[in-house]
Amino acid sequence: MSYEQDEEDQYAQYVGSFPKEFGYGAFDGEGEGLTGPLTGEQKPRILLMGLRRSGKSSIQKVVFHKMSPNETLFLESTNKIIKDDISNSSFVQFQIWDFPGQIDFFDPTFDSDMIFGGCGALVFVIDAQDEYNDALNRLHQTVTKAHKVNPSIRFEVFIHKVDGLSDDYKMETQRDIHQRANDDLLESGQEQIHLSFHLTSIYDHSIFEAFSKVVQKLIPQLPTLENLLNILISNSAIEKAFLFDVVSKIYIATDFSPVDMQSYELCCDMIDVVIDVSCIYGLHEDAEAAAFDSQSSSLIKLNNGTILYLREVNKFLALVCILRESNFDRQGVIDYNFLCFREAIQQVFELRSKNQIANNTSSQGNNSAVGESGQNTSTGTSGTSNGLSSNPTAMDNSPSNTNESLKQTSSVIYPVSVTDSAVAS
Amino acid sequence: MAQKTMCVSQEGPANALALNRENNQVVIAGRNVFKVFSIEEEGFSESCNLRVGKNLNLNFSCNDVAWNTLEDSTLATAATNGAVVLWNLGKPSRSKQQHVFMDHKRTVNKVSFHPTEAHWLISGSQDGTMKCFDIRMREATRTFMSNTESIRDVQFSPHNSLTAFAAVSENGNVQLWDVRRPDKCTHQYTAHSGPVFACDWHPECNWLATASRDKTIKVWDPSGGSSGKPVLEYTISTIASVGRIKWRPQRKHHIASCALVVDSSINVWDIRRPYIPFASFKEHKDVATGLAWRGDPQVFLSVSRDCTLVHHVFKDATRPADQANPQGISLNPAGDVAFASRISTNNVPFSAKLQGYLRKSHLTSEQFCQATSSMHLYSVKAIRETRCFVESARRYILNGRPLAEMCDHNAGVAKDLGRHQVSLVWSIIKTLYWSSRGGPGDTNPPSTAAVSGSLREENSASNEITTVGTVVSAAGCETEQRSVRSGGGVLGVSTATNGDVSGTGGTVDGGGEPFPTEEEPEIDETTEIFQNGVHFGLPSFSKAPMTQGDFFFGDGEMDPLDMDTGLGVGNTVGVGGGLLSGVGVINGGSQVGPGGGAADEWMLPSEAFPLRHEILDRSPPPETFPNHLEPSEQETQAVAVEEQPAPLLNVSALTAPLMWDCGNVVADALRHHASLGDVQMAASALLVLGEKRRGLNIDEATQEHWMLGYIDVLGRHELYNVASQVIQLSWLPNVNQLSQQSTTYYTCCGNCEKPLLRTGWLCDRCHSSESSLCGVCHQVVKGLYAWCQGCAHGGHIHHIQQWLTTNKHCPSGCGHLCEYN
Repeated sequence: MSYEQDEEDQYAQYVGSFPKEFGYGAFDGEGEGLTGPLTGEQKPRILLMGLRRSGKSSIQKVVFHKMSPNETLFLESTNKIIKDDISNSSFVQFQIWDFPGQIDFFDPTFDSDMIFGGCGALVFVIDAQDEYNDALNRLHQTVTKAHKVNPSIRFEVFIHKVDGLSDDYKMETQRDIHQRANDDLLESGQEQIHLSFHLTSIYDHSIFEAFSKVVQKLIPQLPTLENLLNILISNSAIEKAFLFDVVSKIYIATDFSPVDMQSYELCCDMIDVVIDVSCIYGLHEDAEAAAFDSQSSSLIKLNNGTILYLREVNKFLALVCILRESNFDRQGVIDYNFLCFREAIQQVFELRSKNQIANNTSSQGNNSAVGESGQNTSTGTSGTSNGLSSNPTAMDNSPSNTNESLKQTSSVIYPVSVTDSAVAS
Repeated sequence: MAQKTMCVSQEGPANALALNRENNQVVIAGRNVFKVFSIEEEGFSESCNLRVGKNLNLNFSCNDVAWNTLEDSTLATAATNGAVVLWNLGKPSRSKQQHVFMDHKRTVNKVSFHPTEAHWLISGSQDGTMKCFDIRMREATRTFMSNTESIRDVQFSPHNSLTAFAAVSENGNVQLWDVRRPDKCTHQYTAHSGPVFACDWHPECNWLATASRDKTIKVWDPSGGSSGKPVLEYTISTIASVGRIKWRPQRKHHIASCALVVDSSINVWDIRRPYIPFASFKEHKDVATGLAWRGDPQVFLSVSRDCTLVHHVFKDATRPADQANPQGISLNPAGDVAFASRISTNNVPFSAKLQGYLRKSHLTSEQFCQATSSMHLYSVKAIRETRCFVESARRYILNGRPLAEMCDHNAGVAKDLGRHQVSLVWSIIKTLYWSSRGGPGDTNPPSTAAVSGSLREENSASNEITTVGTVVSAAGCETEQRSVRSGGGVLGVSTATNGDVSGTGGTVDGGGEPFPTEEEPEIDETTEIFQNGVHFGLPSFSKAPMTQGDFFFGDGEMDPLDMDTGLGVGNTVGVGGGLLSGVGVINGGSQVGPGGGAADEWMLPSEAFPLRHEILDRSPPPETFPNHLEPSEQETQAVAVEEQPAPLLNVSALTAPLMWDCGNVVADALRHHASLGDVQMAASALLVLGEKRRGLNIDEATQEHWMLGYIDVLGRHELYNVASQVIQLSWLPNVNQLSQQSTTYYTCCGNCEKPLLRTGWLCDRCHSSESSLCGVCHQVVKGLYAWCQGCAHGGHIHHIQQWLTTNKHCPSGCGHLCEYN
């Protein structure tokens, strides 16, 4: 599964340095929470709320812990807030807080400031197969309260368990819930609150897609990532590209073309296959590193003339592309473009971590430990950017070489402009 | 305007296309292609390539393109990097790029110009916002926050107000906006359960069509009449996610669509017919990404991922509705049948006209033909198996009538009950074992010959036999026919003769004619030939019709032999005749059947004909037909025998050596039914067949098994009368003996379980009558004792009856809720 190293020897310098410097927030493999720029309390939170037995824990288990949907039948009901920090295994550096359904907001022990304060998104789960009047009331209550505490919070409503509904009824339920929830908000004069609705089920990929949308909204760099993907696919003749979070199989970004459910499922399944195979055959005895690393890649040819191509971006992210077999004869260009793409993503997140560090040091300047770590990280980053800055010259040469030798019509990414746009955003 | 399908390919796939106001130029735009073509009579000619210049940045990678509705030189494109770019074709320089609006953060999915206010340009983006640009001012004048997911399509409404536009988004919502009110949308509703990819306003009515990933196209009336809510007017189900839609100009109910994936055809739908496209265009090899009508309902253009731009004309379309099967049939597990078919338009007064529509002749093809179909539901009348069984058992006739009548009746019963297979088996049995001959033959004794004749009719294995057999049964004047036919084949002749013998007395006379035919015997001729020879040899004295003469001459050499009256037939045949006549004499006074057997015995040693063995296999011996008419015929024959040398009788007994042995087939059918659990069919058929069952080759054990099984099931359904009838009719000793068994019920003492032998109420061992006390009056019951099978308490039958009219519990007080049947 490991990608052939030959043609990328020249980039080995920064490829090797990926896991250390790269990450959404700074990922620290050793799990020393304080050294990272984002401590546990500061990580953006996604709250899962809803009535009892609406499926919150199931969603959390299925999406982030790879539980089989059928096993969720046996989940015990949640009695206290489960704070699930999935940042150690996933690109999505969020805490998912799974609330028990019967939580009472008016309980004095309920610290709404603490809970809603650092919250990025609130996912409210409604059981579509059940009577949802109570759920709508609760939704209204929750949303109002949360909005009062934290106006920047995003509200996502999952109309859940729709697998048991017919298509027409599904639509009708969505309309009804949408209408009534918005009417409630309107009546109470809360027009500024906006709810997004998603039809979800853990038995298909709709829950992953919905969670993708939720997570995407919390990534400020999303436009840049999308742009990078757009550039990549238009220059490499790729039909569709997803940037996946490997563990949860939610997509962080995709290109501009509409997401087709089958393509998405296909790509999800491919990730499963790759992980399974590399877990069986790719683990080294001594290494405590995961089987899936930044060198992984995989190629699947389908009999309808399309190819699924997976390349690892870093430990958590994978790029999965769907492209025509006829376009894949220029694999050299595609690989080269991919390396440029990977480098660009790296720069995007470096910029972010720099900003965060700057914020951290300014806000927590009195904390010497954090300051030091921030210093360390920033020197590391600058080192990498030095490596990068030397690179464009090499790249400037290589596109022309490639074009001449391979007679390609497709051009190659110009990393300079990419960096510009990233910085601009 | 060009009226033919034409195609041009480019270097890369285009995402969108747009036509100018005159519809003579088309611009296509994609990731790597951005060109203007002018549409000529014979094809496209590239008039401008806009993807030129040194810096081919993302602004050239277009997601959508729009042509200004008034100015022919202005284009707008939506770029994947969030830019909205204006192009001026009139620019003298090589690069036509005029202005770039960098207002959107994410990919712009759609740009569209206002149909009348040509300087208004609106864009919808992935970031969930729409922006309205005034191209004169070079800036975004207004921003509309949808507060939903990405906007996939925006369209200005051509109706009611100049400022309204519709936006569709990825969370399935449709929003209606007013350009003057950027703060809030005027209307918002959920239209689809998946992302909506496209919308299009109807050019004439106030309809908005939306297309979604949930594989539907929906047509809405956004104003919704009185309620103010949007009303869903039509829904079209497609086979794949719908990518683009466009109303067909000048046709109120037509809309064109192309799929996002899977389906590479472009379909034009009549929205009143939501399942089958009205027309389908299959020029593309990959999914189409954009389409535009050329202002004419017959012509439109499309671009596809297969890198082609195609000019479609309507006359080259395929009409899927024409190929669709107008009939449908379906079965459910309970055996109900639903059948739907197009209602025949012939009955309608305007049939000719309507058929014209159906045929889609060129002129009328645009008319909407309301295809009506009728639906028929045939349900089995809720007859379940047990009811079938009981009914059949009650109504079947098992004896006392002629076989055919019984079979007919039973077939009718089975048919009534919806058991068509069983009914068919009855009919076949009747056909196999009963002559279908018309006239007096029908009432005649079903002699071997008749049976064999009918069998031959059934049996297509031996063709000659079949032919002649048919002739025999069909023709009234058997003799002539036969003699004419006899030349066809030896076997045929023999059949005819057999039929003849079994027929009325007249046949004896007629028999004279064919005799010359018999006299053609070659070595391979079979027994029946010489039987015939013998047979006819005698009557031939009486008649010698013209037809005979033909054969005479035809078989010239044999004739003299024939004239020797059987005995002189020559070589083997002659001998045969002699033997037979001898036998006939012996059997003259006896029954036909034994006579046949005797003849067999006789003939086997004397003749070396290979087919004689089949005579042994001949299944139905004549005596199995217990018909009153038989004697009379026998008399006739007997008379003949007396008058002539005897062999006639024997001949009739010896007939049908080549008869198809239907026994195996019938036996197989019965076994099949028995293995299906329908022992009733097997047993009843055996009973009805009577003695003929011997030909079935079913061993006695199986027969007994079936009979006992049937009796058992009858008993369970309390059909004791039928059961006893079956026992009575049964020929198997084991079954028959059932009726000889005692019907005594033995009782035991309730305390010690010792059989009560002496009396029913006093136990010899316990010396008490405790177990036979009446629960109501506490007296010993002598006589009829009724008891509950649940708690074993009971008493005098009338006491118990009385008790139970008012109570439900056991009279003894044991608390059991007694149930008496």
